[in-house]
Amino acid sequence: MKSSRSGTILLSLVVVGYVFLWTPIIVLGLFSFNSSTFGVKWESLTSRWYVELFQETAIIDSVLTSLVIACVTTVVATAIGTIAGYGLYKHKFAGRRVLRMSILLPITVPYVIMAGALLVYFSSIAHVPLGYPSIIIAHISFSAPLAVFVTLGRMQRIDWSLEEASIDLGADRITTWRKVTIPLLLPAIFASAVLIFPWSFNDFTITYFVAGVGTTTLPLYLYSMLQYSLKPVLINAISLIFIITPTIGILLLSYLQREKQRVR
Amino acid sequence: MGLGKKARKFLTTKLNLPVLPTAGPISLWIVLFVFAPIGVIVYFSFLTTGPSGDIVPGFSLKNYAFLLLGGSGYGEAILRSLFYALVTNIVCLCIGYPTAYWIVRYGGRFKSLFLFLVIAPSWSCYVVRIYALKQLVGSPGVLNNFLLNLGLISTPFNILYTPTAVVVGLIYIWLPFMLLPIYASLEGIDPALLEASLDLGATPGWQFLTVTLPLSKGGIFGGTILTFIPALGDWLVPLLIGGNKVWMAGNLIEHYFVVRGNLPIGSSMAVVLTATVVLLIYLCIKLGGEEAVERIM
Repeated sequence: MKSSRSGTILLSLVVVGYVFLWTPIIVLGLFSFNSSTFGVKWESLTSRWYVELFQETAIIDSVLTSLVIACVTTVVATAIGTIAGYGLYKHKFAGRRVLRMSILLPITVPYVIMAGALLVYFSSIAHVPLGYPSIIIAHISFSAPLAVFVTLGRMQRIDWSLEEASIDLGADRITTWRKVTIPLLLPAIFASAVLIFPWSFNDFTITYFVAGVGTTTLPLYLYSMLQYSLKPVLINAISLIFIITPTIGILLLSYLQREKQRVR
Repeated sequence: MGLGKKARKFLTTKLNLPVLPTAGPISLWIVLFVFAPIGVIVYFSFLTTGPSGDIVPGFSLKNYAFLLLGGSGYGEAILRSLFYALVTNIVCLCIGYPTAYWIVRYGGRFKSLFLFLVIAPSWSCYVVRIYALKQLVGSPGVLNNFLLNLGLISTPFNILYTPTAVVVGLIYIWLPFMLLPIYASLEGIDPALLEASLDLGATPGWQFLTVTLPLSKGGIFGGTILTFIPALGDWLVPLLIGGNKVWMAGNLIEHYFVVRGNLPIGSSMAVVLTATVVLLIYLCIKLGGEEAVERIM
């Protein structure tokens, strides 16, 4: 009796959680096909907004800006982060704990603080031009740690005796790295990239602080549309793209994970 | 034997890339672009601005005195932020823990699907998620329209631009981050322990209180680090959902850094918030143990 009641409470909390997380997004998606411009009353089905989306040059430009930043960030942050994860896992060195905690710092401190600190640093001390350079540097600082922890998580599941076997069989260090270590790390590299790319593409707070004038990423553009309430329904259409893109990323990731488990 | 061990050790150390090229780049990056900026705002927080907004060199505690004397309402904003973050954290725990527990216990074959359904919203853009919530609960808004049409309400409800709306927004944004660490720690509990407690006569409720809950402590505090702290520093939720009427600490920081361009006062505000955050992280690690740190990675 008692346990069935607690079961009901449990289930209802779970349902509340999922409904709360998904209703706004589903409504947002549905209303992007609504013909009403102001988007709170359902009128009729249309795909007009998606067509219009691709005619707005400002939107296309901001998408391109975001893509360039996300690509550079992903490549550099994944490289630095994966290699650091490898080092942290393989070596016991003085300061290892300190380094781990330091890497955690940018992800745990609220964005507004780190973003403000970077703005002061870039504009007054380091004289990094605000725009692409400042945004990319800032993005790498926040996303390289993600790659470190993804790599650390994966390293534990890798069979490292393969590296030793390669040396035993007469391969030199570079060949071993090229033919054994990198292929072993590939899933970790891929997982990091899949995590970092949408992070960088979606980031708002940090970009907003360090972007300066004239470099508009898609989230910044979206924000200005919201501020000046320009065509709210177009915002819905852009938003659906924002939601679908990372979803494809996660699906791809989980598919690859499953594939890997099956091989094992 | 000893010789073999030595040879193996030699091989593995030789095989690894040395420490410097692996941990070097990230260390350099963190020193240059994380520690240095933090150091710079600490330095700037002791500077002042002249009459024309230019920065006056020299050491001064004027900014901190300004904040302490209630200038710009920062103290109030910090207290408000702490309160909102606490409520957010408690509600996220009340929804996130049961959900994580349910997925681990009853998810079965669909565990990863249920987990995916929690993570997916958090992967989309922060601005988009706030806008989605605003469109739903606003007035005029989709939910209001729907309820009016059904005749369930006669006048539209209006929660936008109130503290309640801000807290709802914070819960909506940060909920997934509470759930993930708890899920990880519940998933890590050895099922044999649960069986043993039942064999020893524990009722399911007692078992939950004495075995499951203490063992998931690390996850709870890990989740708290990932929920309480970002909620504390949030500024876009109060800006867009609170409509500039409910200011949190983050809004003042943004206002002084970006809108006013007063870097010294902005810096002193950021330093105060950082100190608060460091204290909170310390408390979470103290209460939740090392596991709290491990669960957030």
